[in-house]
Amino acid sequence: MNKALVILQKEWLELRGERTLLLTLIIPPLILTLMPLVVISAIGRTPDEDTRQLGAVVADPAFAGLSERELGQAVLGKQFGLLFLLMPLLVPSVIASYSIVGEKTNRTLEPLLATPVRTWELLLGKCLASLIPAIAITWTTALIFVLALRLVVVSDRVYQVIVSGSWVLLLLLSAPSLALIMVAATVAISGRVNDPRSAQQIAAVVVVPLLALFFAQLIGVLVLSPLLAIIAGAALAFLAALALGGANVLFERENILTRWS
Amino acid sequence: MHAIETYELTRAFGDRVAVDHLTLAVPRGAVFGFLGPNGAGKTTTVRMLAALIAPTSGSAVIEGNRLGVSDQEIRRRVGLLTESPGLYDRLSARQNLVFFARLYDLDAHRAEAQAERYLRMLGLWERRDDPVGGFSRGMRQKLAIARALSHDPPVLFLDEPTAGLDPEAARTVREFIKELRAEGRTIFLTTHNLPEADELCDLIAVFRTRLLRIGAPATLRAELFGRGTRVQLAGDAAAFLHVARNLAFVHAAEVAGDTLHVALDDPDDQNPHLVRALVEAGAAVRYVEAREHSLEDVYLQLVRGGEATA
Repeated sequence: MNKALVILQKEWLELRGERTLLLTLIIPPLILTLMPLVVISAIGRTPDEDTRQLGAVVADPAFAGLSERELGQAVLGKQFGLLFLLMPLLVPSVIASYSIVGEKTNRTLEPLLATPVRTWELLLGKCLASLIPAIAITWTTALIFVLALRLVVVSDRVYQVIVSGSWVLLLLLSAPSLALIMVAATVAISGRVNDPRSAQQIAAVVVVPLLALFFAQLIGVLVLSPLLAIIAGAALAFLAALALGGANVLFERENILTRWS
Repeated sequence: MHAIETYELTRAFGDRVAVDHLTLAVPRGAVFGFLGPNGAGKTTTVRMLAALIAPTSGSAVIEGNRLGVSDQEIRRRVGLLTESPGLYDRLSARQNLVFFARLYDLDAHRAEAQAERYLRMLGLWERRDDPVGGFSRGMRQKLAIARALSHDPPVLFLDEPTAGLDPEAARTVREFIKELRAEGRTIFLTTHNLPEADELCDLIAVFRTRLLRIGAPATLRAELFGRGTRVQLAGDAAAFLHVARNLAFVHAAEVAGDTLHVALDDPDDQNPHLVRALVEAGAAVRYVEAREHSLEDVYLQLVRGGEATA
């Protein structure tokens, strides 16, 4: 565990010197936080009666009794709320894709593997280096969204629909697991390619199920409830454990050194 | 006691055999030169001995630890300088060393102390907080050597330690290697710089997938080319060629200008007899010196001939 922390510390020291990468980490989450606020604020001024026809509105009892102005904001807010689950996927992919590829391009992989560091310690250190910022950025931007939303919603009811217990549970339980899945996938792929962009592109496939969730809610096939949030959190935690174990198995030191470096 | 022993060590990548039944022993405290052409399997051998890759067959014991059984302990007991320095450019020299030292199980305090010790020893202390990305090739190489030493390993694998360095930096590194030998460390040196190997190594192995020959540099010279003496005369050396040839202990003698090249077994004992015979025959002897073949001659003879060790 101690060596994993040493690796984590080294990764962050390196990250500190990579300003472009830091901007890539900060700007997309900020846009993903501010854009919904602007759109929610605007939609509150231009109500649209067609919103009532949306599958989400028909299926979800939380929307019952809302005025047209409230409904527009509530529907959009709920959808945008799901976008916060993109953060734990976006942020770590940027850092993790460099993790093993960076060691290869720096030619530090061989001296690193020559030390008595165990594979799980190496991977844990690399994963934590991406995981911690991913969770921190996700929860911080979500908090900013929750606080700023108060200023743009037309009523308390809209606020309660968007910042629901289910959504908070989903963010608290699922974000770490989603980040871990992404990190493990990216680190595993990073060991088998020689270009960080390749690792990012391949790992981007993980985003697809989330988009499915987004559209399922929009058309009313899926209604987010506390139970569903807990089930999703548990399922994702299980998948995250599998992904981490898989990354450990796929990280064959010898192969990576002789075939991919 | 040997620091490194291998027995029939073999590594194949698919159908290609990179290292074929390598058997050797490196005494503790020796500088061992491992010479061979590019693609000979030197790096693969080093990677096996540093417990980075597993052998296909055969065995090896490094500092009493069997390869494949005590790999973690082997990694703790060896230091590796790879062909490319392999440093983190955005980290400072000190941060690089401390990071690796800590991975070698040193606590934070000791890692800092070791970093300071080697940075001072290699003349990099003044640049300790500078990012390594701005370092010259020579500075990077010194830092990589310091990294290999950060945990004070008894065995060091140095792959081309002076490649690409200017003469001054190369000399510093060579002197440092001599200091390390004086400390009793075993050094496994792979290099294409044959004069350097000749200067540093106690024992040399010439290798091309298989071990071609192993021995002390002087022994290899004697085995391949025999021993001999060069006698420079004042005047025509050809006139005295028969004198040398008539001596019972002389195997062969040739003349080149004013110099006689005489092949014999024991210059220490036989040179006085040779010189006396020449002087008695009227030759004016200017210089007498051992006929030395360079290590390059030895190397080329072995690599071109592909001679196998018996």
